[in-house]
Amino acid sequence: MLPSPRPERRLRWAWILLAPGLLWLTLLYLLPLLGLVPLSLSEPLSRFGLDTRFSWHLTNYTDVLGTYGPVLLRSFAFAGLSTALGLLLAYPLACAIRFRGGRWQPLLIGLVVLPSLTSYLVRAIGWTSLLGDSGPVLGLVAALGLTDLGNGLGLLRDGRLLNTPTAVVLGLTSTQLPFLVLPLVVALQRIERRLLEAAADLHAGPWRRFRLVVWPLSRPGLASALLLSLIPAAGDVVNPLFLGGPNDRMIANAIENLLLVQLQAPRAAALTLVLMALTLVVMALSGVAVWLQLRQGSSDHLVLP
Amino acid sequence: MTLPPPAPGQHPASGARPTSRSRRRFLRQLGLAAAGSLLAPPLLQACRGQGGGAGDPASGGSELVISTFPLYIDPDEPDAPGSVARFRADTGIQLRYLEDINDTRQFFARIQPELASGRSLSQDLLVLTSWQAARLIGLGWVDPLPLAEVPNAANLIPALRNPSWDPKGHYTLPWQSGIAGIAYNIKATGRELTGVDDLFDPALKGRVSALLEMRDTMGLLMLADGQDISAPSWDAAQPSFDRLERARRDGQIRRFTGNDYQNDLLAGNLAACIGWSGDVAQLAQEEPDLRFLVPESGGLLWADVMVMPKGARHPQAAARWMNWVYEPVEAARIAAAVQYISPVQGVQAILAKDPATAELASNPLMFPDAATEQRLRVFGPLSGSEEARWEERFAAITEA
Repeated sequence: MLPSPRPERRLRWAWILLAPGLLWLTLLYLLPLLGLVPLSLSEPLSRFGLDTRFSWHLTNYTDVLGTYGPVLLRSFAFAGLSTALGLLLAYPLACAIRFRGGRWQPLLIGLVVLPSLTSYLVRAIGWTSLLGDSGPVLGLVAALGLTDLGNGLGLLRDGRLLNTPTAVVLGLTSTQLPFLVLPLVVALQRIERRLLEAAADLHAGPWRRFRLVVWPLSRPGLASALLLSLIPAAGDVVNPLFLGGPNDRMIANAIENLLLVQLQAPRAAALTLVLMALTLVVMALSGVAVWLQLRQGSSDHLVLP
Repeated sequence: MTLPPPAPGQHPASGARPTSRSRRRFLRQLGLAAAGSLLAPPLLQACRGQGGGAGDPASGGSELVISTFPLYIDPDEPDAPGSVARFRADTGIQLRYLEDINDTRQFFARIQPELASGRSLSQDLLVLTSWQAARLIGLGWVDPLPLAEVPNAANLIPALRNPSWDPKGHYTLPWQSGIAGIAYNIKATGRELTGVDDLFDPALKGRVSALLEMRDTMGLLMLADGQDISAPSWDAAQPSFDRLERARRDGQIRRFTGNDYQNDLLAGNLAACIGWSGDVAQLAQEEPDLRFLVPESGGLLWADVMVMPKGARHPQAAARWMNWVYEPVEAARIAAAVQYISPVQGVQAILAKDPATAELASNPLMFPDAATEQRLRVFGPLSGSEEARWEERFAAITEA
């Protein structure tokens, strides 16, 4: 291993480099977010006024959790499912781009990002015509005679796809796919080909090369991909609105309704903070997982087989 | 009773735009709450013109700023300028006609910060749904209209005089009105529908939608329950709320929509839905199988009205605009384009005279016959605290 620079110097540089970003986050993100805390414990003085009174109004939390608790669970379930499905698609895709892409790699990465250049609102509306009752997807399903199977598995509802949970998860998956592929490609690109060659020289077959070299070295990328997909997906507004039915609403829809339609800013703030807290828990868990891996990874270096 | 749709292939007036589906509420919610919220931040900025009028180049001259729903007036045609352009040319008033109200409910959240803190908006006129106008009147956030300078206001149809949202008619002048009823595709339903109960027919499971506009959806359901909606009571509404909630849970109701039910209706995703008369009048030109039903138990008569927000700076110019659009000839042009119920007397006769628009004059969705009119009801006022309760329950059904 190369000797690293003296730790205190490295630390100083780290802070200097972090400063602009931290300042930005503090001013435009953290402070407004903290402002939500007193708001979430207030009650409005009048229905249509803007003034609120801080009063440790904890019922805001119990109220929104009572009404929207199931919606919270559903949001994370949809986010988890779409991320899992996305990973199943993204991992092989990232491997193909990295190891088989050759000189086409930049182009392939561009193609992955291309759909994101369209507004995701427009994409969601596009999905509605694909998944509609007389759309091509259901047409194919019917032609293959899979409608009953789809109904039986709960993927279709009475032979319908649009405005079902399946459609929401599919929409979320497509929205999040680039955020899964990109970190994975970057992680895989850091794997030196020589390691794979060395493994091959030691008679490791493709599966063992994958299991012993590619998989462990791609895990940091996997962790960031997971977070990049899971968190935005849990807070998505558009996909449940267009692709879901009234039984498939997600938590951001509820927050929006509370704030803009019901004009209950304190309750909207309470629900937002609950969502933030749950998101932080997810992040902390993944942080712990990464830390455990790194520790395990560094000990791997020391133990010779 | 079912109102027959306009004849297929019928085209609106010479001055009107050729058939394009949707005028009024198409972007109104771009179906959607979401677009509203995604678009809200820039629009909030747009509302923020106050006092000195920085970024308001023409504030010194006679300018007029109006916020309204998209596709709610006759547009410019290559050979014929629309009402906005002709008003500008005729009066020399610099009219800024902003079609920036996408969601009637969310628009309130946009204007609330200014009006609640006593600042005036940059708009001189807003076109709002009647119950929202009533809310603003109750809050003292509007000025009385300068009706002394609007002699044509005398052309207002009797049905909309002294309405429940503005009993003395001092604050509002209707822009257009219309009916909330049941729209259906007869090919998809396989039969004529007869009433609200048909929306709950298991044969239509998952192919029915209701409106996010609470008063329209709840009003129809309550009328079907035999309730009086002129003074809506919370207790009397509970059976209708329960019925709606069950239907949502069972998957009978596929979606709650804004204006976007139109797309689903045309795409065949919906067999029947709660919808608005003018939309269906226009859609039926493309899709002759569409029907609009004003149920025997009653349909909802609604109106969108013009109000002048408190502290509006150009009341004279606003008066000229209102007088202009209440001129029957001008009102007929607008009616031919939007195909809702015109609030101006004499429009029907003018449309009937021109062969190009004669068919519209006999369109029962634009000019309801006496039998239909008798079945129309207006959803009465809800007090602020009552309304909060209603909206909370309604949201628990549509959003949770």
